[in-house]
Amino acid sequence: MMSELRKDLVSGRWVIIATERSKRPDDFLPSGGTARAAEPVGFCPFCEGNETKTPPEVFALRAAGTAADSPGWKVRVVPNKFPALNRGTPPLKPTGGVFQWMEGTGVHEVVIENPNHALELSDLPVAHIRDVFQVFQQRITSIEEELHYQYVQLFKNKGKEAGASLSHPHSQIIATPIVPKRIKEKIYGADRLFRNFKECAFCRILQEEEAAGARQIARNRHFSVIAPYASRFPFEMAIYPLRHSPFFKDVREDELLTLAETMKAVLTRLKETVGDPPYNMVLHHAPNPSLSLEGWPEIEKNFHWHLEIFPILTKVAGFEWGTGFYINPVPPETAAKFLRQP
Amino acid sequence: MKKKILLVEDEKALCLLYEEELSREGYAVTAVIDAETALAELGKTAFDLIVTDIRMPGMNGIELITRIMGLRKDIPIIINSAYQSYKEDFMTWAADAYVVKSASLDELKAKIKQLMGE
Repeated sequence: MMSELRKDLVSGRWVIIATERSKRPDDFLPSGGTARAAEPVGFCPFCEGNETKTPPEVFALRAAGTAADSPGWKVRVVPNKFPALNRGTPPLKPTGGVFQWMEGTGVHEVVIENPNHALELSDLPVAHIRDVFQVFQQRITSIEEELHYQYVQLFKNKGKEAGASLSHPHSQIIATPIVPKRIKEKIYGADRLFRNFKECAFCRILQEEEAAGARQIARNRHFSVIAPYASRFPFEMAIYPLRHSPFFKDVREDELLTLAETMKAVLTRLKETVGDPPYNMVLHHAPNPSLSLEGWPEIEKNFHWHLEIFPILTKVAGFEWGTGFYINPVPPETAAKFLRQP
Repeated sequence: MKKKILLVEDEKALCLLYEEELSREGYAVTAVIDAETALAELGKTAFDLIVTDIRMPGMNGIELITRIMGLRKDIPIIINSAYQSYKEDFMTWAADAYVVKSASLDELKAKIKQLMGE
């Protein structure tokens, strides 16, 4: 069978699905076939007891009676100690002619997901994972209310190959004064498709995936997990809410608990399937609604928040950088089959 | 009594310059050119502050500050690197300040004063 070129409906990005040299999950297992253990714990600035090594916390879920920046917390959020972007009022527009620039304003926060260095997100009880998601919502809302930042990006790097410098489980939030290109591509794509389909393109994709079934990994009363049709990476997954909403911060408490169950289940399956790989997780949601969304008047109807998880099992190299194409040696149908199996 | 600074910098010329400038500011400076010697010095003297480079042969500055945390968590540490990019490594948070190297030592001196409570 020849390889296949597939187009991502919303972004318009093309992917080469290399079916003729398709790999199996075993091909990605670390040598020895066992999952990598957490690195030995030396000093870690995120561990409980080392609170003085971080900037003062901006938010924490902590035991009653415990003081800020002391032990006793469950989830803790601190600003980046040495940030690339600093809080402040951004200019209305970039300046310069051909070479545009603006001051590096923004927010960079770290969400320390639990006090224990060795406990991964998927190891935590569902209620704790729900708490982590609630903290994400709180931080997104709070940063958006500062009215300076157009987009709040939540992401997680797990493992060195995914960009994590520290193995203590954490996520990061970076808010920027402009809407990033990749988000704009999705917004414009969703807008164009909305006019075609007369409905949200993401909702349409979910219906189609449900009917086809081949790429569906999990589904429950609130969420659907799929291996996207034009997956860029082996075992890539996307979690979509079944209830249409462009805003992650609008997810209700009962839905958050289901999201936590879903997340725990898919991360556990990923670990069981390909041996605890490094991964990136990103949230894509609508830009800051507290600022004007007049550039995208129908965004509430046509955008649909979602989480993307991509295990780092292949290298992004010259071809990908040069073309924006990705080569994926595992068809998403194969990935879904393995990730679905109990 | 003079406050004691341990300076870890592998470039000998820079090491001499820093030693001279910081001594002129009234500090007792012990300058070493690698992390291993720095750890040995830490065992002998109760320093008030450490200034360390990151990119060094042998043990790098990030490994050094991690090791120092195992000995003494209360000693103020300033990372003094020519590279901004190490800021992305959260292990640098073990340090109290990150000063990017420049022709002027003003920022470094100001940070030292601040961390010494002067």
